Amino acid sequence: MALIVEAVDLKKTYMLGKVPVEALRGVNLKVESGDFLAILGPSGSGKSTMLNLIGALDKPTSGTLLIDGVNISTLNDNQLSDLRRRVGFVFQFFNLIPRLNATDNVELSLSIAGVGKAERRKRAEELLETVGLKDRVKHKPAELSGGQQQRVAIARALANNPRFLLLDEPTGNIDSKTAREILRLVKKLNMEQGVTIIMVTHDQQLAKEAKRTVHMIDGVITSDVVN
Amino acid sequence: MKARDIFSYSFSAIKLRKLRAGLTTLGVVIGIAAIVALLSITQGLQNTITNQLETGLATDTLIVTAGRSVFSQGGAGIGGGFGGGGDSGFTLLINDTDTINGLSRDIEGSVAVLQRAVYFNNSERSFLINVAGVDFAEYEAIYGGNTFVAESGTISTNPANDEVIIGNTLHDPWSNGTLLYNVGDNVDIVWTNATARPPKNETYTGTISAILQEIGGFSFGGPSDTGVYIPIAQAQSFFATDACNQIIVKLANSDQATIDHVTELITNAFDGEVSVISSTAVLNIIGSVFSVIQLFLVGIAAISLLVAGIGIMNIMIVSLIERTREIGILKALGMKSRTVLLIFLGESVIIGLIGAVVGIGLGWGLANLVAVLFSGGGLFAGVGGGQAAGVGTAGLNIVPVLTPTVVLGALGFGIGVSVIFALYPAWRASKLKPVEALRYE
Repeated sequence: MALIVEAVDLKKTYMLGKVPVEALRGVNLKVESGDFLAILGPSGSGKSTMLNLIGALDKPTSGTLLIDGVNISTLNDNQLSDLRRRVGFVFQFFNLIPRLNATDNVELSLSIAGVGKAERRKRAEELLETVGLKDRVKHKPAELSGGQQQRVAIARALANNPRFLLLDEPTGNIDSKTAREILRLVKKLNMEQGVTIIMVTHDQQLAKEAKRTVHMIDGVITSDVVN
Repeated sequence: MKARDIFSYSFSAIKLRKLRAGLTTLGVVIGIAAIVALLSITQGLQNTITNQLETGLATDTLIVTAGRSVFSQGGAGIGGGFGGGGDSGFTLLINDTDTINGLSRDIEGSVAVLQRAVYFNNSERSFLINVAGVDFAEYEAIYGGNTFVAESGTISTNPANDEVIIGNTLHDPWSNGTLLYNVGDNVDIVWTNATARPPKNETYTGTISAILQEIGGFSFGGPSDTGVYIPIAQAQSFFATDACNQIIVKLANSDQATIDHVTELITNAFDGEVSVISSTAVLNIIGSVFSVIQLFLVGIAAISLLVAGIGIMNIMIVSLIERTREIGILKALGMKSRTVLLIFLGESVIIGLIGAVVGIGLGWGLANLVAVLFSGGGLFAGVGGGQAAGVGTAGLNIVPVLTPTVVLGALGFGIGVSVIFALYPAWRASKLKPVEALRYE
């Protein structure tokens, strides 16, 4: 199995006002292709910081983080942007563009990657069908339920055939029934299409559904178990 | 990201806030409209005045008057000047035409003009008017093909002393068929001799022998619609002088070189005591005066565009703050900083483009409206009324001019100002860090 993520003694310190906060204090982690990893931990444990680094949204203070074999510390702004296109990020608050409908939201990440109009449309419709939103393609985020918005966000994250999918508290803002559906979708993507999944959550139940669970507390990994 | 997609994304952002974008655009519209309206109306006014002057005087004539030239000698640029200059006691004599005629083969002829203000009386009316004594034959030789042409009666080349030729306005001042003077009418010409002691009125009775065709322009030196012409010999004896006010010189051609050369010859012949004005010099002066006025007016209008630019900047900064999270999302999806910059600049280009296009249309409409108000019997029509001797005849007929240069310039300026003022907000947007932008509430 190919190694997609490799963190070695990863540290991240950021300034909260004038107080330095050590969010990551030496994390070592390997994620292989096809894995379904859950990062579990209370708030303040550094799991979101970890996710931002893996998503190439931020750079580490020290240590190395290889994504797809590339050390992100060595990348410039443009190269980081290019890398982000190969990462499917799904946010806790969905983060859809409110003025764009479901199709246009999915198309947006394709258009950023420079895909042409006709191909974009076709791919977006396929993806929305995959996440079970075939009949909601023209709806704007405000006209969709939380679960439906999350599905659009997943479709958008999948648009550019990412190396892996990053999910930040994917069920944090939806009811438990919908959450189960979302999880079923994520598992299906992992099992049937072999999509690598890295999911951050503080929900023990949810974490159990993953193939592997990593516990984080105070910026370090305390356990790493295969379920 | 493809340019088309960047542009359509910018457009979708603008569409979301129609009122705000509309008001921002309105600022650009007003600025551009003001510039376009002022430019096209002043250009139209300049054309009107230039055309009227060109009908009034041929470009191949020079006007010689006594008095040193105020500005530099010579025809080009501001040369010639509306002199009169210092009073050295020098007077131009009627027979100085002989001197001038002998100066160069480029001079085809010259005519002395002796002008005095007189009362022009008949049993019903009395007008104060300028009468010009000229050699009818020479005058016709210079202006005959153009403006010194009889509509009725005949211009005699060897006139009797009592012959009088009048401009068309004195014949038909209101252009409505009510005629003031006709061929064959007798008029008393009364001149007050102010040098006699005591001053006394001299009178002689003239007979109108010809009425000129309507000229329809301002006059500068040449015949005019309000002019009255009597034979030079009669003027000389009636006004008891050998001096004249000006000598009009007809050139073989209207080349600048000829004008400059002859101007120099004449100036030297009179030892610098005369000023020589060419019509091209007059047109040049008018042209440069108008350029200054135009620049001034456009400068004022440009200030309003500057204000619009600040409005754009203001609104873009507000928009940037509101859309911080959106920018974070775009960056998280892999959008490059440069593309974020282009999206924001794209919005300002759209605002500038729409503003400029609408502004050009509106400005053009305004210019035409002003032109209609000016020429349609509005402001100037009444001036000529009671006393037919006034300047006003038909009113100024201004046709606004919109040149491609003005259109392109306005477009460029509108878009340029919008983009320049959007640079800072766009740059700030592009520099946002994705993690922080996403956290922004």
